[in-house]
Amino acid sequence: MDLSLLKALEREKVLEVLHRDKILRSMEEDRIRRLKVELQDLRRRGAKSISRQYGERTCARCQKPLGRFWNTGAVCLGCSHRICGRCRVFLTRRFWRCTVCHAYREVKVKSGEWFLEERGKKFPHETAQHETIGEKLLKSHQRLGNISIVPPTPPPFQDVAKLSFSRSGNFTSSPLTKSMEDLVMSFNSHIRRISKSQSDLRADLLTVNYDRTISMSKSQSDTAISTAFILNKGPSLSNIFKKFKEWEQQTSKSLSSGALTDRDTSLSSGETRGSNSSIETDADSSGNPSVTGEIEIALAYSFNTSCLEILISACKNIMFGGFKQRKCHPYVKVYLLPDKSSGSKLKTTTKKNTTDPVFKETLQYSVERHLLASRTLHVSVWHSETLKRKFFIGEVLIPLEGWRFEDSSTKSPAWYPLQPKSDGGAVDQVVGLLLVKVKFSNPKHTSDSCSVSHEAGQLTVLVTGVQNMTGSKSGAAFVKGSLTLPGGQILSQRSPVVKKKSNLKWALQLVFSKVTLHELKESVLHLDLWDQATFSLSERLLGTARLQGAPSWQALQQMPSVWHSFSLALCTSINTRKP
Amino acid sequence: MYSAGTTMTDGDYDYLIKLLALGDSGVGKTTFLYRYTDNKFNPKFITTVGIDFREKRVVYTANSPNGTTGKTFKVHLQLWDTAGQERFRSLTTAFFRDAMGFLLMFDLTSQQSFLNVRNWMSQLQANAYCENPDIVLVGNKADLADQREVQEKQAKELADKYGIPYFETSAATGAEVDKSVITLLDLVMKRMEQCVDKPTADGHNGEGTSKLDAAPAHEKKCAC
Ligand SMILES: Nc1nc2c(ncn2[C@@H]2O[C@H](COP(=O)(O)OP(=O)(O)O)[C@@H](O)[C@H]2O)c(=O)[nH]1
Ligand SMILES: [Mg+2]
Ligand SMILES: [Zn+2]
Ligand SMILES: [Zn+2]
Repeated sequence: MDLSLLKALEREKVLEVLHRDKILRSMEEDRIRRLKVELQDLRRRGAKSISRQYGERTCARCQKPLGRFWNTGAVCLGCSHRICGRCRVFLTRRFWRCTVCHAYREVKVKSGEWFLEERGKKFPHETAQHETIGEKLLKSHQRLGNISIVPPTPPPFQDVAKLSFSRSGNFTSSPLTKSMEDLVMSFNSHIRRISKSQSDLRADLLTVNYDRTISMSKSQSDTAISTAFILNKGPSLSNIFKKFKEWEQQTSKSLSSGALTDRDTSLSSGETRGSNSSIETDADSSGNPSVTGEIEIALAYSFNTSCLEILISACKNIMFGGFKQRKCHPYVKVYLLPDKSSGSKLKTTTKKNTTDPVFKETLQYSVERHLLASRTLHVSVWHSETLKRKFFIGEVLIPLEGWRFEDSSTKSPAWYPLQPKSDGGAVDQVVGLLLVKVKFSNPKHTSDSCSVSHEAGQLTVLVTGVQNMTGSKSGAAFVKGSLTLPGGQILSQRSPVVKKKSNLKWALQLVFSKVTLHELKESVLHLDLWDQATFSLSERLLGTARLQGAPSWQALQQMPSVWHSFSLALCTSINTRKP
Repeated sequence: MYSAGTTMTDGDYDYLIKLLALGDSGVGKTTFLYRYTDNKFNPKFITTVGIDFREKRVVYTANSPNGTTGKTFKVHLQLWDTAGQERFRSLTTAFFRDAMGFLLMFDLTSQQSFLNVRNWMSQLQANAYCENPDIVLVGNKADLADQREVQEKQAKELADKYGIPYFETSAATGAEVDKSVITLLDLVMKRMEQCVDKPTADGHNGEGTSKLDAAPAHEKKCAC
């Protein structure tokens, strides 16, 4: 028998199996998606709606009032909320969870999340934890097929998005050639991992050209892009995992303790490792706007009502956007971490036009005393620009472990210096990197002299792609940009929709006109990446990237007319959207 | 307790459980799975190329803790079949990581295949999703009594050593086939529950200790 023929047949056989597996997998993914939707619905219905009433004794699920002596409710181990007798699901005679925690548990079991968690403990350093070996093999095989037929030439950019923009020197072939190299490299390492000793199989795979893949590539460059995109695209289930994470944060206490936390850390560190350096360099160049100011807080625990009382007294000397603004409308937001859900969120009123606001407002959490030891109070100060747009001013994290509420001396207010946004606070989560180029052009002048600085021109922002993006499986995306000028004026732009399949290199252009270089120094550029899911009705905010602070704009000030590249951390919107 | 389902192409099931059969070439993995899913016997020996899988939908009835039969669930079983041949080894062992439970098979008429069980165990330890996954030891071809080389006592001892159930099956007659798969499924389902319901650091619900806290330790192989 012809050996090479046999191998080709073998390969065909294995591929046929992998394709069948893929069909089953997509059926499974659909099912999990449905589970998640149901869970979200249930959760929404059960959420404490009015945060102001949080301190009151009501069942966290049905909102029915709880009595002091009769029908007092009990604390759910999953979420630490007080739950009435009717909103409990008993697993054994005494062991129960609230309806929402129970539903969460069900999803965790039914979606196979438990399995991924367990495996994550044994193989904490594996990337793409959720991917099955079949999926990996199939992908790498398809990649291979593509690679062998795609010459390493860059795609013309017109293909990517139908946008008119001036081609500048930055758009040479080098980025793509580079990415092709990366592609081949990562593929090789991939194969090495999969088939350590099976050299025959590897050789096979490396030489095969598949008819399938050829017909798939109607334009070679397109194929190159979509091929590369497979590498960058987030794990197919990661949307779910992301939601799970949110959930986990809400219910982390008993549902998983070590397990998911471990997995989270390894997962996120694994995913961001490659990008860390770029985030840091970006942070260096953009230089976090310095945070100043203090906040006066007093904490007390009422043993009568089982409430944690937080007196937000005042703030002084606060700054926003790197400089002291007269138009500062501050308010204070509080979370009782690790619960980052809206149910845990409390807010003060907003004070107008002040950098030394006096609040004197008491916020309350109904929570058992012994549960406080594991909690951290997250207090952040925000500037409310508009109803929709909020700016971060500073924050304080107060761990409640060892806090002596019994001691009355701890009840007096204390001033806490405000801190920049902490990574550890993890209210903000980096979900990827947004690759951005900016330049400033002035219709009248081409010179870069300083006089230009006060002349109006236009800021062109070109979003060229995303990197290390978690989530966002398929479909289309677009970018909404808003430029907040020092005076508080906001210019907004929306890019066309780009197919995420033809990813890696986008050319989404946003133009902000009638701005001066001088203004830009003190402006904040927000770029929101939106997912336009094919089947869902709504658009989904994937993350927000920010360009702000004098250092970020510095290069532009010096050479306005050339492209300046930034890789901006895309953060989940918790902070910017729902403060 | 279990019954075969009907349609398999829709997502109308509660759990996808992935099991995997492993063991030397020729012990009857493929035949065994074929018997389980289709209740048929194929006396021909067709070498499995690398990997393969079969599916079956079953109804699982969970036993509630107080002994009464509890809820029923639809389970979609994905049963991975692997080639025992050395030359596919790296491919097949790679698939170990995605399985939730394992049918470790040997041929009752082949002493060698039984001796190799130890090697397969160490392969599992290295490649499976956790250090002590759910495994059922299966001695197949029990119908060929006159050719038997491995005694039940021998195999039982080994299984006890590993702390796993042991079954003597025949893909030819179908004896014990269902039972061994179902036993494995049961172990996996229980493991799943344990993994999500492990006791919390916080302790108690404020209404006495939970029953799970007091569950016998030997039932929990789960490291979580
Ligand atoms: N008599 C008998 N033959 C069996 C039994 N199970 C498998 N066989 C035969 O053993 C040979 C190898 O079986 P196969 O399933 O291909 O083994 P695999 O390599 O482990 O997949 C085939 O000829 C089967 O018909 C059994 O229980 N009884
Ligand atoms: Mg076989
Ligand atoms: Zn209730
Ligand atoms: Zn709960």
